[in-house]
Amino acid sequence: MKKIFCDITKCVGCKGCEIACAVEHSKAKGLSAALKERPLPKRRVKVSSSDKKILSIHCQHCADAPCILACMSGALSKEKESGKTVHDKDRCVGCWMCIMACPFGAIVRNIEDHIAVKCDLCPDREDFACVRACPTGALFVGTEEEFKKILKKKTHV
Amino acid sequence: MTSYVIIGGSAAGISCCEAIRDVDEKGPITLISDEKASLYSRCLLTYLIGGKIDKERLLFKDKDFYKTKNIEALHGVKAVSIDIKKKEIDLDNKKSVKFDKLLIATGASSKRLNIPGGDKKGVFGLRDIIDAEGIMSMLDNVDTAVILGGGLIGLRDAYALKLRGKKVKVIVKSPQVLSQIVDKDAAFIIEKKLAQEGIEVMKGLAATRIDGNDSVTGVTLDDKSKLSCQMVIIGKGVQPNRGLADGTGIKVEDGIIVDNRLQTSVKDIYAAGDVAQAPDITTGGLKINAVWPVAIEQGKIAGLNMAGRDTVYDGSNMMNSTDFFGLAVISIGITKPKESVYEELKYSDRETNTYKKVVLRDNIICGAVLVNKVVNAGVYGVLIAKKVDCTPIKDILLSDNFDYAKILPIVKGFPDKFNKPEFKETVMSI
Repeated sequence: MKKIFCDITKCVGCKGCEIACAVEHSKAKGLSAALKERPLPKRRVKVSSSDKKILSIHCQHCADAPCILACMSGALSKEKESGKTVHDKDRCVGCWMCIMACPFGAIVRNIEDHIAVKCDLCPDREDFACVRACPTGALFVGTEEEFKKILKKKTHV
Repeated sequence: MTSYVIIGGSAAGISCCEAIRDVDEKGPITLISDEKASLYSRCLLTYLIGGKIDKERLLFKDKDFYKTKNIEALHGVKAVSIDIKKKEIDLDNKKSVKFDKLLIATGASSKRLNIPGGDKKGVFGLRDIIDAEGIMSMLDNVDTAVILGGGLIGLRDAYALKLRGKKVKVIVKSPQVLSQIVDKDAAFIIEKKLAQEGIEVMKGLAATRIDGNDSVTGVTLDDKSKLSCQMVIIGKGVQPNRGLADGTGIKVEDGIIVDNRLQTSVKDIYAAGDVAQAPDITTGGLKINAVWPVAIEQGKIAGLNMAGRDTVYDGSNMMNSTDFFGLAVISIGITKPKESVYEELKYSDRETNTYKKVVLRDNIICGAVLVNKVVNAGVYGVLIAKKVDCTPIKDILLSDNFDYAKILPIVKGFPDKFNKPEFKETVMSI
């Protein structure tokens, strides 16, 4: 499936993806207005680092998704055609089973609404807010094969 | 064409049906459930009682699941016996069904309490929708409810009734709540939260009698004191419904013994969910981990194997996640180690109700408890499941910024263990 990858060698940790993600999930969809919203809109990506390697952590939309297996309310499911792992906030009861199951730590709590929050691959737009905002091209949209090719090209240069 | 029979219509049974249909679109599937209601999630029953969801939202699959998956579902029908030679199941409606492949997913039942008065009106367990409806139908006449048992079910019941404005008292024999899944430090925070919200937890006590004529009027405790109440809920855990295996030759211990393909000791007969005693990762033995995610996964893997797609089950860990009044609690694996070979790392902040503990053995994580700050619980979970040496990250395991990024070197270093494509994709560019 087409999804978002992070080239760890290119990520500088600017957190632009985090801000763009929160803004995209705000009511206003603009930074200054989003900052005034309460509760504050939530980001679904997280920039983190380890051993001088920086990356943006996303939902991997796993083919065999542990969060879906763990969800006891039917809120998480797999969209067959696209391969997306989708979360239905109206079915979510905030039991945090998905948080217990996700090996990437890509699901967080929306404490105000008492529901889980995760990457929804920006349903309101054609492209992806985080990828668009990434100034270094660390975030890449495509299939695993396409991502591999890009990395390969890079090592040849 | 292979014919399939599934006994049990909850998590493991439904998950098995789905998995079979992913592989085999045609083979006839018959599902037998002694419950009239179908496709509802047991774990949501306390949310229903607490008024957080309505009955429609109890369903964890679409209403037309059986139709779209082409499954013949017999609800309100009980499987009485299995003839393993004839590969046939007798039902309580005098009919029988034949199978090529069978799944026993009969689940578990609330443990009963052998004290006088347990049959009075107003005494409940909470396992199925009938229990939940019984509790709800009485609510208007209840001022005080007493919960017997401070385990997960007991506390969830207490929480639900408190949300309904009832006075709630929880009687716990052990010196702490949730003694099966968290340690005393975590329990301290949970008990504090419950007390703040008006739930009275009475520890070190047990009920000796339920008082009243036809209906409950109170409970007598082992210190001779009496509590007045109109409802008693017994939350003393569950026991596997393994009776169907009796006399068949299917090997049974605590539950029905299964191998790493979820097959029982009898070929073509599988078991999954709360009735199955299956490989356990942290202990290395066979254990019943009677929780929703495990039942779903076991049902799925049993289904794949039944449909001919050979799939190995890596085993499960005990794991629980819940929330009381906004206080999130997650526990995975071994949380209260008894032997000195285990090492415990702890972080506690009682001001903010935060607690983290990681249990290690030879630098391999085998358990975790998280209270309040539960995000990244699954990162600990995967380290526990993969049994990898965590020496390089031991110092930061409990730090506030611990997350998936911190385990990248381990993911990269053990490609055989972190073998799912998604793990590989995250380390591809390093």
